Amino acid sequence: MITVSVKWQKELFQAVEIDTSQPAYVFKCQLYDLTGVPPERQKIMVKGGLLKDDADWSTLGVKQGQKLMMMGTADEIIKAPEKGPVFMEDLPEEEQVVALGHSAGLFNLGNTCYMNSTVQCLHSVPELKSALIQYSHSGRSNEVDQTSHMLTIATRDLFNELDKSVKPVAPMQFWMVLRKKYPQFGQLHNGVFMQQDAEECWTQLLYTLSQSLSSTGSSENPDTMKALFGIELVSRVHCQESGEESSETESVYSLKCHISQEVNHLHEGLKHALKSELEKASPSLGRSAIYLKESRINGLPRYLTVQFVRFFWKRESNQKVKILRKVDYPLELDIYDLCSDDLRKKLEAPRKILRDEEGKKLGLKASEKSSGSKDNDVKMSDAEGSSNRSGEPSIATSEEGVPSDSGTQMTGIYDLVAVLTHKGRSADSGHYVAWVKQESGKWIEFDDDSPIAQREEDITKLSGGGDWHMAYICMYKARVLPK
Amino acid sequence: MAKDSNDTKKNKKDEKRDEDLSEEDLALKQQLELYVERVQDADPNLQKVALESMRQEIRTSTSSMTSVPKPLKFLRPHYGTLKAFYETMGGSDLKKYLADILSVLALTMSAEGERESLKYRLEGSGGDIGSWGHEYVRNLAGEISQEYAKRQSEEVPIEDLMELVQQIVAFHMKHNAEPEAVDLLMEVEDLDLLIEHVDSTNFRRTCLYLTSSARYLPGPDDMLVLDIAYMIYLKFEEYPNALQIALFLDNMQYVKQVFTSCDDLPRKKQFCYILARHGITFELDEEMAANDDDREALQDIINNTKLSEGYLTLARDIEVMEPKSPEDIYKAHLLDGRASAGATVDSARQNLAATFVNAFVNAGFGQDKLMTVPSDNSSSGSSANWLFKNKEHGKTSAAASLGMILLWDVDSGLAQMDKYFHVSDSHVSAGALLGVGIVNCGIKNDCDPALALLGEYIDKEDPSIRIGAIMGLGIAYAGAQNEQLRSKLAPILNDAKAPLDVVAFTAISLGLIYVGSCNEEVAQAIIFALMDRSESELTEPLSRLLPLGLGLLYLGKQESVEATAEVSKTFNEKIRKYCDMTLLSCAYAGTGNVLKVQNLLGHCSQHLDKGETHQGPAVLGIAMVAMAEELGLEMAIRSLEHLLQYGEQNIRRAVPLALGLLCISNPKVNVMDTLSRLSHDTDSEVAMAAVMSLGLIGAGTNNARIAGMLRNLSSYYYKDASLLFCVRIAQGLVHMGKGLLTLNPFHSERFLLSPTALAGITIMLHACLDMKTVVVGKYHYMLYFLVLAMQPRMLMTVDENNKPLSVPVRVGQAVDVVGQAGRPKTITGFQTHTTPVLLAAGDRAELATEKYIPLSPILEGFVILKENPDYREEDH
Repeated sequence: MITVSVKWQKELFQAVEIDTSQPAYVFKCQLYDLTGVPPERQKIMVKGGLLKDDADWSTLGVKQGQKLMMMGTADEIIKAPEKGPVFMEDLPEEEQVVALGHSAGLFNLGNTCYMNSTVQCLHSVPELKSALIQYSHSGRSNEVDQTSHMLTIATRDLFNELDKSVKPVAPMQFWMVLRKKYPQFGQLHNGVFMQQDAEECWTQLLYTLSQSLSSTGSSENPDTMKALFGIELVSRVHCQESGEESSETESVYSLKCHISQEVNHLHEGLKHALKSELEKASPSLGRSAIYLKESRINGLPRYLTVQFVRFFWKRESNQKVKILRKVDYPLELDIYDLCSDDLRKKLEAPRKILRDEEGKKLGLKASEKSSGSKDNDVKMSDAEGSSNRSGEPSIATSEEGVPSDSGTQMTGIYDLVAVLTHKGRSADSGHYVAWVKQESGKWIEFDDDSPIAQREEDITKLSGGGDWHMAYICMYKARVLPK
Repeated sequence: MAKDSNDTKKNKKDEKRDEDLSEEDLALKQQLELYVERVQDADPNLQKVALESMRQEIRTSTSSMTSVPKPLKFLRPHYGTLKAFYETMGGSDLKKYLADILSVLALTMSAEGERESLKYRLEGSGGDIGSWGHEYVRNLAGEISQEYAKRQSEEVPIEDLMELVQQIVAFHMKHNAEPEAVDLLMEVEDLDLLIEHVDSTNFRRTCLYLTSSARYLPGPDDMLVLDIAYMIYLKFEEYPNALQIALFLDNMQYVKQVFTSCDDLPRKKQFCYILARHGITFELDEEMAANDDDREALQDIINNTKLSEGYLTLARDIEVMEPKSPEDIYKAHLLDGRASAGATVDSARQNLAATFVNAFVNAGFGQDKLMTVPSDNSSSGSSANWLFKNKEHGKTSAAASLGMILLWDVDSGLAQMDKYFHVSDSHVSAGALLGVGIVNCGIKNDCDPALALLGEYIDKEDPSIRIGAIMGLGIAYAGAQNEQLRSKLAPILNDAKAPLDVVAFTAISLGLIYVGSCNEEVAQAIIFALMDRSESELTEPLSRLLPLGLGLLYLGKQESVEATAEVSKTFNEKIRKYCDMTLLSCAYAGTGNVLKVQNLLGHCSQHLDKGETHQGPAVLGIAMVAMAEELGLEMAIRSLEHLLQYGEQNIRRAVPLALGLLCISNPKVNVMDTLSRLSHDTDSEVAMAAVMSLGLIGAGTNNARIAGMLRNLSSYYYKDASLLFCVRIAQGLVHMGKGLLTLNPFHSERFLLSPTALAGITIMLHACLDMKTVVVGKYHYMLYFLVLAMQPRMLMTVDENNKPLSVPVRVGQAVDVVGQAGRPKTITGFQTHTTPVLLAAGDRAELATEKYIPLSPILEGFVILKENPDYREEDH
């Protein structure tokens, strides 16, 4: 019989007796009483390793008063969770996109950045995506020619591919079809494809899509593209000489922003562009005269496209030369004063609601501040409730289906969602890049194959006035209210 | 002829100038000229009087050395005449007198290399050497060293010289010119003389000069110099200093002698603290501490059992006990919208990075927010939840991270690790084994829990479990030279069936256990393993750990490596050069040997065929050798800049790591900038190495600038998983131990190099030479080798019973006071704090109170304070 002391965690058990004639298991049972650690989980350090259950004390050389150390706990043993976590690295590529928070980039196929940036901007319109999905192979009607159909299909496939991959996509098919449809994009210079004007690409692509999508025969939305991008203009054409006045309406896919000496802001440029002079034959005078054309917006699209007229044709150098003037543009655009009187009337009611809600939010915040500690809880919950109510309509735009007048109301207020910028001195050179706002609210710069996260403040800094990227086309999304 | 004309010209000039002289000077000049004439007089009495007067004039004037003494100046033209006359004199006292005067005059007149001053001195009357002034003695010393070298080569007796040396040394030592005395003795190779001449007023300066000059001495001389310093310290009972030198010499006999010479218990405790910081295994015996209880208390300190306690006291004092989560370190909110949005799905790599960050940041605190959080309502605690948020081998690192969090706290560490031993997942078990090793890092325990627990796993089937156990043993028993372990581990090396990775880790662990021991048997075993392995295996990245294991055996042991280096020449050519470089760099690590640095630079200047890899360790080697002292370090940084510009890609990949080693836990701004530049390199491996090194140079400093850089890098590389992983690890390193730890293997004012610490860093850096397969691959747990170098960067003052004692101290930038006269200030720009305090790289502390006397002259780590018996509370 010898006595030892046993150290277990931070405790020390003095004078534990060992009956050397018994196997070590007995000793372990003694310790079980002391510590509550079951014998099979006890680890006792002796010379040469751990104490075995059947060890013979005489061979271990444990001395009187020796300090032994025991390790072991009575804690529950950890079990692996039945279902292990799923790691991003193991996910299929489509799901990784969701985790990534933005879609893939597009490879440059040789001066195709104008095309890539256009595609990226349009790709950010969910309604266009869903309209394209509805477009089927077989649904081709006779009104649409073969190449337009192919371009539409190619666009649909490319959008699809962009959504599903993490790695950059090479838009080969799309590029080929686009050249086929519009051979001017296939111009070669020294054996390589030339840089092209992104605005031209944008316009042509939208035109083709509007052609093919309006003729799908699907009865629901015969004029998808018009609802999405079309701007109704009503113009008063007035001749000062003869006093003749006439009015005409037209539909365009983008507003122009003229840039002249006086223009410092997008709004001024838009106003400028809606007034124009034209020369035409006056029936009353019997000769051509100067007519003044003043246009106003009469119908609002879901997505308002604004083109900065930054390029003009310079005959001497035989190229499109860029105006570097800085023109600021806002993140939130209100076009109320560009609208016709009819439209203004229609807009007033929804705008009031919107204003009220915003006012309520601000007002509530103010009252929250002023109100003391009393009945704070009630107010808090009030505020939450109302902010939820007010938040929803402005954010939640139905992503499925095309908006129709029946579902929502326009307010004339637009939020910036995509910017296509150009860097360089002429339209046929330099570099085009798309800056697109994601559903998460984050901005991504799509520089061909590399998407780069950007800050919202930096987006408004693309307004020109230097050699940095400057906005060429801006796309705004309407803020709407449900009816 | 020309000379003559010169002389006449000069004379004319002199005459001209005579007119400018003041009356006083003119009188002196004429007086001296008269003496010169009289000396040549036939009458010996007259001669004697003249000589005496001349001597008088010279002596009175040489006392001030601000300008050329006038008598010497006026006697210059007569030096030739006197010399000629001297030759004609018969042997007499007078002749000796004249010899004395000539010897002084030769100070300014003697042609270069003639050593006339010495010649006449030896022929002169002897007498008090100092009476002729300081400058004269100094000149004489210079001539002696020349003469000595000449006589040595001609094998002419030197007794007369040595007599003079005695006089000069005595003079210098009395007059605050210890460096001159030491220099002279080093020249005449008789440092032993010093011991007779040091006294309590000058031994400190003498020893300081000796120890700091040792760094720049070649071959055996440096050891000799340190030997002398050791003996002087021992003579004056400055035991802590003596102990440091003993440790520097790695001479356990001397260490023992220090213990036996001193019989004051508190002092012995202080020795133990110094030994513990150095990280060596040392057993006290009865001779060193007679009383059993005392011995146990002392051994406890050496075994570092109190380290955890002290560290936690420091943490509580600085108020950083609150655990930090990886998010607190990433500070993603400071990055505007750049951080990846999709946090919805766990990324295994990001979770692994978080595991490491969590481990490094909360190292030693015993609590964190991932691994040690108490079980919640769910069946298994959330610690298990986090564990299983890692994938496969990631779970190994996760389980081992618990060991890091509970670092040095063996008792609760083992208790908490226990639960992982019962998990069936082999990766978790491997991590648990490794974790046990990490908990025990630097701590010795009589019960040897690590050996008992891990011992039985090293021969298991599963290779990952084996690696966990082997690596754990290596970390726990680094430097222990444990025979039992050798007999268990060595057979694995030569087991042909063992997988390569198991063998590689065994070699590393044996290298660690026998670090710097030059152990023959271990070396043999590794060499055989290297010879047995097939050529294809030798091209695998992990096989490079075998030469490293071999190199560690000779860490800092210089020439002792040569026999093994010879053997390595017979290895397969795939590994031969790699082995050569590794051995060389390890053997001269921390010596500052300039020749070896040049040798290694030479290897780096070659442009290689593809597939040769030995330049990586060569570049690391430059850093390992040059890191010893500040000057060499600066030079190495510049050389590395050149390598960056002209070197091949494999060199460029190693350069950031070498920079990281040179400035480890010492963020120098120029190096920081270089690494920041490299972190954007187009070669991703260069960038990864640079990012890692940013972590290393800032390790444990909380350096805001590096933290900012890394934060920006994290958004810059948010898409590149591998680089982001490295950025995260680096962030974890910068905030290591919440800023309380250092990785610097040098301690005691950069004098001592802890071999285990350096070994740990070296292994990690060698692993980083192949980022893709090792760190970013499946052997990321090799990062845990850094634990060997982790030490609190604190000054903790304790009383004689090891209880913390709070006293004011001044902490400031250390000033080099070597060779300076008087009692110069040793720190500059200081601030006063109360202990415990943190010490940054290059900081030095001194007590700001007279109330206590520190038992160690170097205030670092644990320092015992003794009450000052002469202290009187000041009355205000």
